[in-house]
Amino acid sequence: MNPFLGSLELIFSGDREVFQVAATTLRFSFWSTAFSTIPGLILGIALSGHRFPGRRTVAAVVSSLTALPTVVIGLAVYSFISRSGPLGHLGWLFAPAGVILGQTLLALPIVVSLVYTGLSKLDARFAETLITLGAGRFRRLTATLFEAKYVLASAVLNAFGRVTGEVGVSMMLGGNIRWYTRTMTTTIALDTSKGEFERALSLGILLLGISLTVNALVHAAVKHEQ
Amino acid sequence: MSSEALFSVRDLSFSYGSRKVLQVPGLDIRTGEVLALVGPNGSGKTTLLKILNDLLRADSGSVLFKGRPSAGNPRLRSGSVYVHQSPFPLAGTVHRNIAFGLRARRLPDSEIRLRTREALERLGLAGFGRRDAKRLSGGETQRVALARALVLDPEVLLLDEPTAQADRASAERIREVLADIAARGRTTIVFSSHDAAFAEALADRAAYLEDGRLVRIDPGRRGRAPKAEDTARGNPE
Repeated sequence: MNPFLGSLELIFSGDREVFQVAATTLRFSFWSTAFSTIPGLILGIALSGHRFPGRRTVAAVVSSLTALPTVVIGLAVYSFISRSGPLGHLGWLFAPAGVILGQTLLALPIVVSLVYTGLSKLDARFAETLITLGAGRFRRLTATLFEAKYVLASAVLNAFGRVTGEVGVSMMLGGNIRWYTRTMTTTIALDTSKGEFERALSLGILLLGISLTVNALVHAAVKHEQ
Repeated sequence: MSSEALFSVRDLSFSYGSRKVLQVPGLDIRTGEVLALVGPNGSGKTTLLKILNDLLRADSGSVLFKGRPSAGNPRLRSGSVYVHQSPFPLAGTVHRNIAFGLRARRLPDSEIRLRTREALERLGLAGFGRRDAKRLSGGETQRVALARALVLDPEVLLLDEPTAQADRASAERIREVLADIAARGRTTIVFSSHDAAFAEALADRAAYLEDGRLVRIDPGRRGRAPKAEDTARGNPE
């Protein structure tokens, strides 16, 4: 059978393993994005709202971290959660927690950087308007989050898209264990190396669908902001 | 300083980088007074208004509000509102914009609804409450910004070119509202304008600025004798 038609059959027949892998991927991505969102928002807002010496340098470093290779993050986290590492007793290596930790560290600079950039572009009149209307610190914070909600949504969606499509962290920290830590990208890599193109292709199609959906949402968010 | 001065400005100087943009040797503004700041673009009107509202801090000199330094003064913050020449509408509805300052003051919802509705009607914006504030015309935005300030019933209203973005109808409405507030005499209004005729018609006094310097203060045409002694040092008046 044509591999492409075979991949569609796997999708439309509801192949259990294909959808289990997809669900695992989305679960890992959801939690890592969620765990990176709160500290990412706080750090991004703090970076944009406070002037201190070296602020631009910090912003440049954070921006550089968004391009960090996933295997480097995987390696760094591996050294901490492997049996001989300081967090080895947690047993997170080759477990979902390890993947989620690595992906959280992958997503965090993306959220911080995009929030910082987005908030830095807010009109200077915005802050003056809040102050002159008598808003205190907390109300200024909530008003800023509301004003920049599409920028923030875009940051979170970008982070989600990045962790969904990564392979280095999942492979190194998850170990690609079937029915446990196997994600779409690690399955595609494995199946392709074994010559099993149909399942790899079916997961590729699903991954593409997720990626396009996330990008469409990001695009819509940015367009709405403009 | 005059004992009745609401604002007392002395030896004020402000620079952007190395460029000195404002120098005011002395200026007193009395309670209930309407003072126009008149001058061409770049004469320092906006800078002075922002300093009066503590949105900018002077490099040197002093600005007192009710006898106390204006910097970080909570009475100034709660009692005065500045409206930009080109106001910034907050995201959300017109109602959210107008209610924003009231919510910041933690007023009850029933009072917020009542005062917001009154402010909308006063500025000819009845029916605008649910409109997206970001999608209004320049004149409508200016009226919303004025309503957003007036709803707070401030002691001091600082307006930067209040009719600059407005069409003829909106400008007329704004003039009427400002004249009404001025006639009541409870609110001190300081506004900037490059239109000397408009400024003098509305104001008790008109302070003329050129290249960041206060050059003279003339009485306005409101039919009232000037309320404050002109204290601009070196003022040719």
